[in-house]
Formats: sequence, C-alpha cells, structure tokens
Amino acid sequence: MSRKLITFFSLLVVTVLVLAACQGPATAPQATALPGAPEPTTPAPSNTLPTEVPDTGRMGGWLDTLVFTSIDQIADAVTQLKADALDIYPFGSENSDAFQTTASDPNLAYTVAIGNAVDGFMFNPAGPTFTDGRLNPFSNPKVREAINWLIDRNYVAQEAIGALGQPQTVVIVSTFPDYVRYADIIRPLEVKYSYNLEKAKAAISTEMEAMGATMGSDGKWQFNGEPVVLIGLIRSEDARTFMGNYLSDQLENIGFTVDRQVRTRTELSPIWGRSIPENGEWHFYTGGWGYNSIARNSSNLFDGYYTPRAGSTTAEQGYVVSPEFDQLAMDLANNKYSDMNERREMFARALELSLQESQIVWVAGVNQFYPRNANLQVSSDMVAGVAQSSLYPYTLRWIDQEGGTARLANQGILTGAWNPVSGQNWVQEVVVQKATVDDGVLADPYTGLYWPQRIERAEVTTVEGLPMTKTLDWVDLQFTSEIVVPADAWADWDAAKQEFILASEKYPSGATALTKITVYYPSDLWNVKWHDGSNISVGDFVNNIIRLFDRAKPESAIFDEAAVPTYESMMTYFKGVKIVSTDPLIIETYVDTYDLDAEVLIGQNAFGTWFPTNRTNAWSSFSWHSFVPGYLAEENRELSFSEEKSTSLNVNWTHYIDGPSLEILKKYLDQAEKDTYIPYSPTLSQFITPDEAGQRYGNLQAWYAKHNHFWIGTGPYYLDQVNSVEGSIVTRHFADFPDPANKWDRFGEPMLPVLDAAGPAKVSSGKEATFDVLVSYKDAPYPSSYLDSIPFLLYDAEGTLVDKGTAEFVTEGQYAIQLTADMTAKLKEGTAQLEIIAVSNVISVPVFTRVTFVVGQ
Amino acid sequence: MANIAYSQRSSTFKRVAVYITGRLVMMFATVVIGVFLTILIANMGGYVDEIQRGIIREDVSQAANQNLSLRSLTSEERMHWVNEQIILREKQLGLDKPFMVRAVKFMKDALTLNLGRAQRMTSDKGSQMVRDIILERLPPTLILFGISGLLLFVVEIWIALGLSRHYGGFWDKLFVFLAPASTSPAWFYGIFLILIFAAMLGILPFGGMMDAPVPDNWVDYTLSLLRHMILPLVAVTLSQIFLNTYNWRTFFLIYSNEDYVEMAKAKGLPSRVIEREYIMRPTLPTIITSFALTLIGLWQGFIIMETVFNWPGMGRAYFQAVQFFDVPVIVGMTVINAYMLAITMFILDFIYAILDPRVQVANQGGNQ
Repeated sequence: MSRKLITFFSLLVVTVLVLAACQGPATAPQATALPGAPEPTTPAPSNTLPTEVPDTGRMGGWLDTLVFTSIDQIADAVTQLKADALDIYPFGSENSDAFQTTASDPNLAYTVAIGNAVDGFMFNPAGPTFTDGRLNPFSNPKVREAINWLIDRNYVAQEAIGALGQPQTVVIVSTFPDYVRYADIIRPLEVKYSYNLEKAKAAISTEMEAMGATMGSDGKWQFNGEPVVLIGLIRSEDARTFMGNYLSDQLENIGFTVDRQVRTRTELSPIWGRSIPENGEWHFYTGGWGYNSIARNSSNLFDGYYTPRAGSTTAEQGYVVSPEFDQLAMDLANNKYSDMNERREMFARALELSLQESQIVWVAGVNQFYPRNANLQVSSDMVAGVAQSSLYPYTLRWIDQEGGTARLANQGILTGAWNPVSGQNWVQEVVVQKATVDDGVLADPYTGLYWPQRIERAEVTTVEGLPMTKTLDWVDLQFTSEIVVPADAWADWDAAKQEFILASEKYPSGATALTKITVYYPSDLWNVKWHDGSNISVGDFVNNIIRLFDRAKPESAIFDEAAVPTYESMMTYFKGVKIVSTDPLIIETYVDTYDLDAEVLIGQNAFGTWFPTNRTNAWSSFSWHSFVPGYLAEENRELSFSEEKSTSLNVNWTHYIDGPSLEILKKYLDQAEKDTYIPYSPTLSQFITPDEAGQRYGNLQAWYAKHNHFWIGTGPYYLDQVNSVEGSIVTRHFADFPDPANKWDRFGEPMLPVLDAAGPAKVSSGKEATFDVLVSYKDAPYPSSYLDSIPFLLYDAEGTLVDKGTAEFVTEGQYAIQLTADMTAKLKEGTAQLEIIAVSNVISVPVFTRVTFVVGQ
Repeated sequence: MANIAYSQRSSTFKRVAVYITGRLVMMFATVVIGVFLTILIANMGGYVDEIQRGIIREDVSQAANQNLSLRSLTSEERMHWVNEQIILREKQLGLDKPFMVRAVKFMKDALTLNLGRAQRMTSDKGSQMVRDIILERLPPTLILFGISGLLLFVVEIWIALGLSRHYGGFWDKLFVFLAPASTSPAWFYGIFLILIFAAMLGILPFGGMMDAPVPDNWVDYTLSLLRHMILPLVAVTLSQIFLNTYNWRTFFLIYSNEDYVEMAKAKGLPSRVIEREYIMRPTLPTIITSFALTLIGLWQGFIIMETVFNWPGMGRAYFQAVQFFDVPVIVGMTVINAYMLAITMFILDFIYAILDPRVQVANQGGNQ
C-alpha cells in the first residue's frame, strides 16, 4: 500500500510539474497598433532617427503597463533580453562582454551615458616620510604630477574598459558644458599631460634624489638603505584592477617596488578612508566617482575633489593644497567671480594647478550602456542613463504603437520603505517612483537644462553683476540693483503655533536676496488629478512648503533630527516665499543663491517651483491628504517617515505600499476621515475646506480598498500591484494625466552631430589656407539653429597650441575655417594639426575631429 | 515489591532528570558559545565598525557630490552637512557605542530570541524587524527546498531499498555510474538548466518564484509557482539523488548482510517483513538523524542556488546580510539555527532510546 502511495504521489508531482511547464512562458500583452501605422517588421538599430511621432489622442504614458522585476547582473539581463523575457534594463553597465553581445544583436538596442563614472588614482599625501621613517614619494606634488606622464590613458581605457572607456585627464567630464566652454584651455593640457614615459622617469628621478632617495645597483629606489616599497590599494571588482596593476607595473619599471593589495571596497575602505595617512598604510588607491546628472556648472569640482573639503575620509582630509589652489577652489565653489571672463581665468588657473598638484590623477571616464528591445524607444540622459532620466516614463514606448506592456528589471526591488517624506531613495526604487510622479519642470536629458512641465513660465530676477544666463524661452531673466524680500513673505516656520514666520518677523530690519524666482502656473492647473481622483489644490503646495521646515523643528509633532542638517543648509540661502495668487497660481521665492543657468536654478532646487513632488528623498508626490495618515502615525510614535528616527523609536519605517505599516496607516486614515482632519490647521485651514478634506479622504479610502496601498501621485502611471515576496511591481497607465502622450517624444534620441573636415595636405607658413567642415546628422545637414559654434584649435608640429578661432557658416551643414597668414606663420615646419569641435545647443556632448597637414615654406 | 518498584522508578526518574538537566545545560552552553562566536566573527572582532565607518564616509561624500540641492551651499556649509550626516548614520548603526557594549546586547537579545531590528536590510514588505525578514523569507525556502528536501529524502530511501534488493542489477549499476554526477553543486546544474530551458528553448522562466504581473486567481498562481519551481527542483535533484541513493543503498546493503538478516531469510520470512523489521528498524536512528538534520538544513536555504534562481528565500537573505554586514540579521538567523539544532539533538536522544532498546541512561549518568 505504502509503495503504491509513494508511486502515486511521485507520479502526481511529475504530472503537475509537466502541466505547469506546458503553461508556456509569460508573455507581454500585445500592443495595439496605431490605426494606419505599419506593423514593425525590422527592428530599429540604435542609431536610427527618432520615429516620427503621429498625432495621438492618447493622454499620459504611451504604454498600458510597466512591469518591474529584479535582475542583479547585466549579463543575466542581456540573456533575458535576447530570449525576449525582458524588454529593457534601465541600469547601466560598462561590462564590455555584455555590451558586445547587445551591440551585435539586431533585435537589441542600447543607449550610452557618457562619463557617468570616472576612475582615477588617489594618493596618500602624508610625508615626505611616514612616522616610521619610510619615504612617501607621493607627498611630493611633482611626483604626483609626473604620474600623469607615466600612464597611457588611451591604453588603459581601451584595455580595461574597452569600447565604453575613454581617457580622462582633467576633472571636468566631457559631457559637461564647461568642458566645451573651456575646450581651448583643456585640450592643450590634455596634450601636455599625455603619456611620456621618459619625461615621467626624469621628473620622478629628480624629485626622488632631491628627497634623499638613491637608485640601487639593482635598479630599485632606496631610502635610508631600504627599498622604497609603495603600497597600492587596488579595487578588485571592476576595471580598476587592471588600472591599479598597470600603474604598479609602470612604477616598477622606473625602479619602485610595489606591494599590490587587490581587494574589495569593504576591505580597502578602512585603510584609505580611516587610517592615519602618516602611518603609511597605503600609497595609492584606485578610486571611482559617479555622476547622476549633467553638471551645468562645474566650478565646485576643484573644491570637491582636490581639497580637504572634498570629503570626510582621512585621505581627503589630509590633502595638502597650495594656498593659491585652495583659495581658487573655494572661490570657484562659492561662485565668487564677477563675470564669465573672470570665471574663465579662474578655471584656466585651477585646471593648471589641479594637474600640477594632482591630488587625484584621472585616468578614464567610464561610459555605461543601457540595453533594451530594439522595438522599444526611450529617452536616456547623457550622463545618468535611463533609470535616472526624468523623461523615461513619458517617452518609453513601442515604436509605431500605442499601449502594450514593457517589462523592466531593476538591480533589486523593494529595498526599503516608500513614503512621501523620507523614504528609500535608492535608484532601484526611484526608477519605479518616477513613473508615478510628475513635476513642475523636467530635466533635458541632453543638455541638463530644464523644461516646463506643469508650470507655464517663470521669471528670474537677479542682482546686477551676477553671471547668470538663460537659454530657453520659458524663462525671463532680469537684472536689478536690489531685491527686497516682501514683509509678508513666509521666511520660516513656527512649529509650535503651526504658522509661518513672516519675513518682517524674521528680519525686522528688512531683508534682501540675490535672486527672486516667480513661477506662473497655468489656469487649468487645478484640473490636474491625483491618482485617487482628487484634484490638486493650493493646499498641496502650501503643505509642501511646510514640509521643508516642520520636521526640523523640535516643537513639531514629527520632529526628526535627521531632517535638521538639510533644513540648516537650506536656511543659509532661503529668504522667503510668497503666494502671490492662487488662481492662477503664482509663487515668488527669494533666495541668496544663484546659478549660471536660470533654468537650472529653478529645476535643481526644492524651492524652484514648489510643485508637490519630493525629489530630495524618494521621488514621491506629496498630496496633503495622503501625507496625513503617516503624519498621525508618526505623531503617535507608531511609525516614522525616516529610517533614522524609526531606528531610534524602534518602530517601523513608514511604508506606504506594503507590510505592517498599512494597517497603521489605515487606522489613521479612518481617524482623519472621521474627524475631517486638516493638518497644520492654523495655516492650512486657510487653504483647505472641510468639504475638500472629506472628499479627499473618501477618495483615498476608495483607492486603498481597490489597490491596497497609499501611494498616489500625478504621474503618467499609477501604482497598481506590489508583489513584495514574488518580487514585482506593476504600474498602469493613468488615463486622467493632463498631457498628450507625445509631449516629450522629441527627446527620443540625442542629435549628436557628425563632423567631417577636409583641406589642403600642405600649407605654406605665412600663407592663408581654407578648410571645409561638414556637420551632419543621419546624412542630412545638421540644422544651424541647433549648433552653438564650431571652434577650432591649431597645434604646431610639437603639439603646442598656437592659435584658435571659429569656423564660419557657409550654408546649412557646411562651414569654413580660414587660417590667416598670421596663424600659419606661427606654425613650425612639420605636421601640424587642426582640431575642430562641434558644439551643439541641443546636446551637451562636444564632437571632435582632427585634420593634419604638412607645413612648409 | 511495590516499594522496590517505586524505588526503581524513582531511581530511573532521577537518572533521567539528571541526564536531561545535564544535556540542557551543556547544549545551552554550546549555544551561548556558538552565538558569541558568531557575533565576534560577524563583526570581525569589531573591525566591521571600521569598515562601516569607512563606507559611511565614502557614501556620504558621494551623496553630497550628487545632491543637486547642496550645490547652492558654500564649501564650508557643504562640509558641515557632510559631517552631520556622518554622525547621524553612525548613530543609526550604533557605532556611537563601543563594540563590546553592543556585543553584550546582541548576545542578550539573541539568547532571549529578541531578534531586534536590522541595521540596513528591510523585509520586502518594508519592515526592519529581523523577525519579519526571517518570517517573510522562510515560506519560499520551505516551499522550494522543503518539497525538494523531503521528496528527495523519501525517494532516495525508496530507490536505495530497491537497489539494495537488486544488487548488481541494471538500475543499481546505473546509479553507481551516475553517483559522481552529484559531486557538482545544484547551482552548477541550475546555470545549465537555465541556459537550456529558459535562454535557448524559452519554455521555462529564468528565475524568480512567480510571473509578473502576479496571476489574480489561485489556479494560475499555483501553476505559475510550480512552473518556477521546475528548474530549481531538477537542479537540486540532479545534484543529490545519485550520490545520496548510492550512500543509502550501500548502507542498506551492509545491514542486509547481517547474520540476523540471513537468519530471517533462512526462516523463509517474506522479503517485505525482512526489509521492514530486520533492515529498516536498526537503521532507523540513522535515517531519522539524517532526516532531522535535513529539516534543519532546509531552514537556512541555499545561498548560491537561491541567488542563481533569483529565489526570494533564506539563503539570499543570508547572502544580503553578509554583504551589508547586517549583524542583527546574521546573528538572528544563526541563533535560531543554533536553538533548532540543540533542540533537535535533545529530542533525538529520546528517539534513539525509543527506537533502539540498547540505548539507555546509565547509572553513572551519561548514555550508552
């Protein structure tokens, strides 16, 4: 009997498993073809023109459903893309094997983010000798400077990173506008500090001897009779292993002995980041740094990388900087320049000093690729890629189709709590959250400027003399001699009274500001709906303003010491905010700060538009009524918005979408509905009526009953399913989104110009010469309206920059470079080089080309 | 007579009580030592504090560079923000207290099964309580490895018995031949199975435990779950069944050649009776011990297997905890394992005594 039972049970299990296997793989629902649109037959390769976007009556996102799952490794993601089990992997990687696999598959496409990671060498600055008497050659800035000549950046970039690597010599990444702005300064420096082993050897030998070291008969440097052993901390996880070993090889070639310690981040971090530099536990470390957006203003980079203010590790704190460079770096970081000419001079000197002192020697910029199904289109940020692109949810679509499902995979999923105040802000979460939120302005993925989304326009007024500019038409920039903060502007928050502190109270003798921002919202703003059907209202905006103050006040019911540093930082420049009109909504903000770009000042700061989206922590929308249950739960110490406070209270971190928080939040939603509760009543009661409160709580109750979570936004997709244990999140198309689906489709693909140049093979010194320059995009002339300029740099046979200029417009797509007799007269006999740069105003990446010619008499 | 019987019973009870107390004390001491060693090892004797501090500084500096709103600050204000963040994060991880103070607290909490809260991990549902993290990850592990473990255990013994009966037959030779195949771990087979059935043929999923979106009715849900279990189950089976069956079959063969078995055969007893009473019975303590340890092993999951198949179980949780240096989670999972092991050993002592009359508590304490 028992044998029969076992046999039966085994057969049953096998049968069930076979049946389950026959169910077939999960497939995405088929997308609906546009009426009259052809079916996609051949997949579009990565470099095709953006598909012409047809008129559409569809509102919100192009797709019906976004399904997020988790895949940790890029290689696995590419395998699943090839097997059509995944549609897009929005996380970048420099894995060259996976990149080659993607690039060679016609069914796959990809975008590349340029320079979102940068690798280089950090050096222990202590010395010249450590406490035990060992010599530290890297205490000498001239030795560090010589490392620039010791390394062949092109070789390292190619060998270590492959097609996704590019050499990097200066701190400014080539996708940043300042690289283009100062290309005539940077390019000669890059030439000057290019690989030159003999020069490196000579410079290091001179300095080593000056420091008392001697070259032994074995060809090794010695100091006080002992070999000079350099301890190299080499990261083992990525291309930096090759990089560290390469430097070790080069150092050994010129007489050093290198102790290579190839280990992981966690093993090396305490050594370079926590040890006392004077103890000499390390000499160099293979560092890596990342960027998550295009930095329109790079003036803080010198201070942020080369000085003791760069960070709080003992290595950075120990940096020795010349007084001139230190002051220059700080002045640049604090934007202390009167105009762009002075800024240019400061940059030129800072760039020069940064290479002379070389606290960090940059080696390679690491580009990352983002693979996807070739039939899927998406805009990708030039630096931040897909996951952190503001526009990805708006532009993600199947080519020539409306609707359908896209399957996205995150590097992990649900890694922490979601809440509208201080939830998890890891990119794994942000990529999902971004699909559910909207914003006042959105970042241009190719230039780093901002475009209006919910706002209509803005005016920026700044005091005369500040080097602020504007590029786009939606911003009006004015200059004035003085900006007075109005007495009735809200300058701070009294958490005890739950009222704003007016500027007249905070600054009894009056206050001025450097900049005033006025944002104008459209008259139909109040038709915008939250996902639960509630209309957005002025209460959401005022509550959003209160959020920036209240949690940092000890008198607040939800005081959180973790919020204090950010509040204190903000109050160093925030002067006041005033709601001038509620219909249409007009808000004035007064701040003691500015930016080079007016668009960036508005888009980059929480005070820019005051639209109720929280970008400082999680990317969450901030409706006042969905905030209330969390507020009440924290007030009663049952949950806390921040991870830090939840730890100190030993309660759960408020999680709006799943887990034990939901029951508590529901309890307080019931209570708020019953009491028609209005938060911060002394203030918000002026903006929120009991009717609105009752209606909103009713909407949220219905939403919770249907979706079992409290996460609502105004974005193009709403959060539908949270499957924590199963590891997936599903968002669906929000039909009430106010904009048409094709609003942002012009950003489907960056218009990177193609540059060609031709001219005479031989130029006579002292005689004029003309070179033709062709600028195109997909074999068509590149529109001149999209081109900022075409500067050129002229180098002589020794690689010295002898002159520079700008190409002249001839006709669409065609330009001419006229080398005058004076210019060519500066060239020595030999092979000269003309370097031409195409600078587009719709994409921040400069494009270079070079023409060589022989100079004779 | 009654007094003598009472006295004998009293003496037996006393001996058993002394034995039980001794065993409990010894096992508790073992658990205490094991847990404390875990705390020391998981913290690298306190060196993890240095690692955490280094990582915090690195992370905060990087976060400051990437925080757009900080670009409005002067460099001194930015540094002030950085330093305050470091203090907050160190406090959050308890790094503001000496390691030994925290180690003693870890110890106390662990022994009282107050598992506390994780330092960096959260459960998928957003809870930071170690208890919730474990309880959330336990069902997937039990579903997959519970089924595979228990099923394999039964099947292996069943096949082994059959093979021992047909020693030298085709199937016996086949299993002996395939036994070395089980030297490869399950994840090794898993990778190949994924390549064949998911990447190439596309008939089974790459991993995870459920389709996305999750089916909205229980029939599809169950079928989807089973579909996702096929490859891991096959991988585990391939990696275990041949060698384990071979071991059990050899084990049974040894017992099959005992004199009392030969005697039973000579008496003409049916083979099923011989199998059940003369072979299975004396091997039961070994089988039950193996079964109990299998059960305990299941609780920990399979770290690499779960990672390869993206299975949200205990093994992955362990792996993540080690990656994050999340000591409370590591200690929590270890202490539960230690308690379970101790309790199992304790219970097994009694089971041995019940199953095998030769096992008894000796007069001098200790067992024979």
